[in-house]
Amino acid sequence: MAVFAVEVLAHAPALTAERPVTWPKRTKTRLANGLEVVLAESHSIPKFHGELFFRSGNAAAIKRGVDLAEMTAAVVRTGTARRTSRQIEEDLRRMGADLSCGAGADTSAISFSGLSELAEPLLTLVNELARDASFPEPEFERERRQKLEEVKLSRTQPGFLATERLRKVLFGSHPYAQVAPSEAQVNAYQRDDLLGVYHDFYTPENALLVMVGDFDSAATLKSIEKVFGLWTGKKPPTSTGAELPRPKGRHVYVVHVPGAVQAQILIGCHSITRKNRDWVKLGLTNSLFGGAFNSRLVMNIREDKGYTYSPRSSVHPLQQHGYFTISAAVRSDVVAASLTEMFYELNKLRALPVPEQELADARNYLSGIFSMGLATQNGLLSQLATIALNDLPDDYLETYRDKLKSLTPSDVLASARKWFTSPDMQIVVVGDRAQIQEQATLFGETTVYDATGTVI
Amino acid sequence: MNRLHIPIENGTLQNGLKIVIVPDSSAPVVTVGVYYKIGFRLEPRGRSGFAHLFEHMMFQGSANAPKMQHIKLINSSGGLLNGSTHYDVTNYYESVPSNALDRVLWLEADRMRALKVDDENLRNQRDVVKEEVRVNVMNQPYGGFPWLDLPPVAFRNWANAHNFYGDFADLDAADLADVQAFFKTYYVPNNAVLLVLGDVKADEGIAMAKKYFSDIPAGSPPPFADPEEPKQTEERRGHVEEKFGTLPAMAVGYTIPPRRTADWCAMALLDQALHGGRAGRTYRDLVLEKQIAVEVDGGIDDIFGYNGPTQLVTRILHRPEYSAERTLAEFDVVIREVQEKGISEDELEQLKVKWRSDYFSTLEGGRGGMPRYGLMHLLACFTLFDNDPQLVNSILDGFLAVKRAEIQQVAKKYLRPEHRAIVFRTPVKNVKEAA
Repeated sequence: MAVFAVEVLAHAPALTAERPVTWPKRTKTRLANGLEVVLAESHSIPKFHGELFFRSGNAAAIKRGVDLAEMTAAVVRTGTARRTSRQIEEDLRRMGADLSCGAGADTSAISFSGLSELAEPLLTLVNELARDASFPEPEFERERRQKLEEVKLSRTQPGFLATERLRKVLFGSHPYAQVAPSEAQVNAYQRDDLLGVYHDFYTPENALLVMVGDFDSAATLKSIEKVFGLWTGKKPPTSTGAELPRPKGRHVYVVHVPGAVQAQILIGCHSITRKNRDWVKLGLTNSLFGGAFNSRLVMNIREDKGYTYSPRSSVHPLQQHGYFTISAAVRSDVVAASLTEMFYELNKLRALPVPEQELADARNYLSGIFSMGLATQNGLLSQLATIALNDLPDDYLETYRDKLKSLTPSDVLASARKWFTSPDMQIVVVGDRAQIQEQATLFGETTVYDATGTVI
Repeated sequence: MNRLHIPIENGTLQNGLKIVIVPDSSAPVVTVGVYYKIGFRLEPRGRSGFAHLFEHMMFQGSANAPKMQHIKLINSSGGLLNGSTHYDVTNYYESVPSNALDRVLWLEADRMRALKVDDENLRNQRDVVKEEVRVNVMNQPYGGFPWLDLPPVAFRNWANAHNFYGDFADLDAADLADVQAFFKTYYVPNNAVLLVLGDVKADEGIAMAKKYFSDIPAGSPPPFADPEEPKQTEERRGHVEEKFGTLPAMAVGYTIPPRRTADWCAMALLDQALHGGRAGRTYRDLVLEKQIAVEVDGGIDDIFGYNGPTQLVTRILHRPEYSAERTLAEFDVVIREVQEKGISEDELEQLKVKWRSDYFSTLEGGRGGMPRYGLMHLLACFTLFDNDPQLVNSILDGFLAVKRAEIQQVAKKYLRPEHRAIVFRTPVKNVKEAA
């Protein structure tokens, strides 16, 4: 039996009346220089969290170099016109602060947290990093060497190898296909490339500052105006990437890791962004399928069959496109069995409406964890950033649960049929080919790669 | 600013179950935890990995909630749940909308009262645990390094030195009788604390705890293996092969002073001086300045959450062009500098501000999206180890009172070869340059 259909026990206490969620008050504004600001108070601890986003990341920098926005971000913290690398690190410690700089496909960001009593000095440092980073040559060279080691290390991680291959398959010549540079590409980075990215991306017109914490919003806004007000800079031009490949039929991609003692399965297809009107529907459909512990996928291949510890399905919403994945690290001798069950559950969700009770449980689950996610400074920050970066409506928090509540079994059925394109799902398996290839080949024409991405 | 005033109500039921309630109605969410004072340090000999395997079994069914009910009831209430096994405690916890509090307490009481599992559940979870070990350790570069590699080298007492995730032969040998015996011995109310944090009033929380838990009979006080270590007299070294990664690595662990002593507080700030991110001396010297290492991190893991011998650990991945001995010598330079010169008043001030700030973050820290997990964890450990959850409000004082001279003294006293163990993790291969 693949799915446990267990009725809720008669003697388990019923839920009592729901207490209302108090949605956090937000202050949203734009400074004269274009910097967008979102603030929310949260007084759980005498600290605050902030993130300064730039709406351009590795995809926007792809023509200048793979992962170049990430490399730029890494060097940003290593020196400004007024502080050396060592001073920056010591000043952060003096403020009780943590700070990191990074870039994803669509954004670059400086994220920070610190003690409320020392907020203004920390904002001053963040402003300096955003405006006056000096990219010292020796620091750049050191970060390059670090990056080379990081690139080598990631090629020994099954999860990375699986994601890298699937992104190439799904995104082809679109920038989203590139999740990491080769060593040669890292060696080719020039300091001027980084300066170019910094100059173009790190501007107030391209920026969003989100802060959540133990502060008074009006006073914090004054601080922000004082610190960031004189910064200037235009929004960089945007471009959309190439057309995506449309793979028809299942194809298998084996990444051979000699000596692997397990198989990392990652299967996926194209999906949608958060702006798509089907977003909430698909979120619910995914939750039922494999997005929660109590989901069909987890119940089947973990709790019933014991094939894996960590099965999960996810929708990954990037700005221009999204993709859907099902992942599990399974025992090498059950690759075929696991794929069979994955497709069985997908097809079942596409074929039959979900029972009302199962749907109600899933709606409750998503509704509960949604409001729970707002109970920490970090959680709230991440929600507010998501809303702002995706230009979602201002009442997104307040209306999400109602949208969820209105969904029916036929919505889920339609969503599964439309977005879980089982017949065209692409299959990546990372492991020792001697143990997995014969099983994987049962699911489609197979290409085998080594960890460097070369067909073997 | 330093003094915290978290309102904590605590008490003990007649069966010995300790109760801690922290009311906070700022969001209609409640986090519940049950901590049992048993971890992998004290699992039976010949049953390495059993405490963790047992933790999985606690989700496999209890008298009135068969397999899957526990998970289903929590998820469908809009909540999250998990459990984790530590050195000296094992926890089970849920965050739910506060209208599900009754239900959660009923479920936790049900599995404290009677576990109901069969051979099929055990086989299933043994398989799941093996895949967990493979995905986290055996199939990852530097998997288990150094948390599984260091204890067998550093310690002589089996309690501290064995493989906590479990040898597969030991996992295979575990049977239902072991499960029931372990449950009967350690999972008794008088060996546990129940914590409720969030949207509940103190008196309501205590009344609910009584309602669901007070009829669970107390057990005999569980026997605890003595985790004491024989005195170490010289440096210990061990070697482990690295199957996937290409950088040589080492971990250096120093056994630290007993918890809640003045030396322990000084050691915690010394840890901050050595490992506090990019400003920490080990990272600054070895990665940023000398550029011998690619990664350096470490520290005292979960400083409030253990109750036996533990170590201050530095984990180093270094460039192959530097030998292990050379790298270690450079690490020793960092240690010697603190021992000989101590730290400046300015550095100490930085360390204290950062320590205080990190402590607040620990309290708020969620785990898998569960609010107040960190506060719950500290309250549980202070209750089970010190019988004093109120320490959460006062323990910062000891760290903020540390003086410069004390940091230098603990560096000299504890960071010595006869207090340390080193594990070298050496790659067996080299990966080709990527195209």
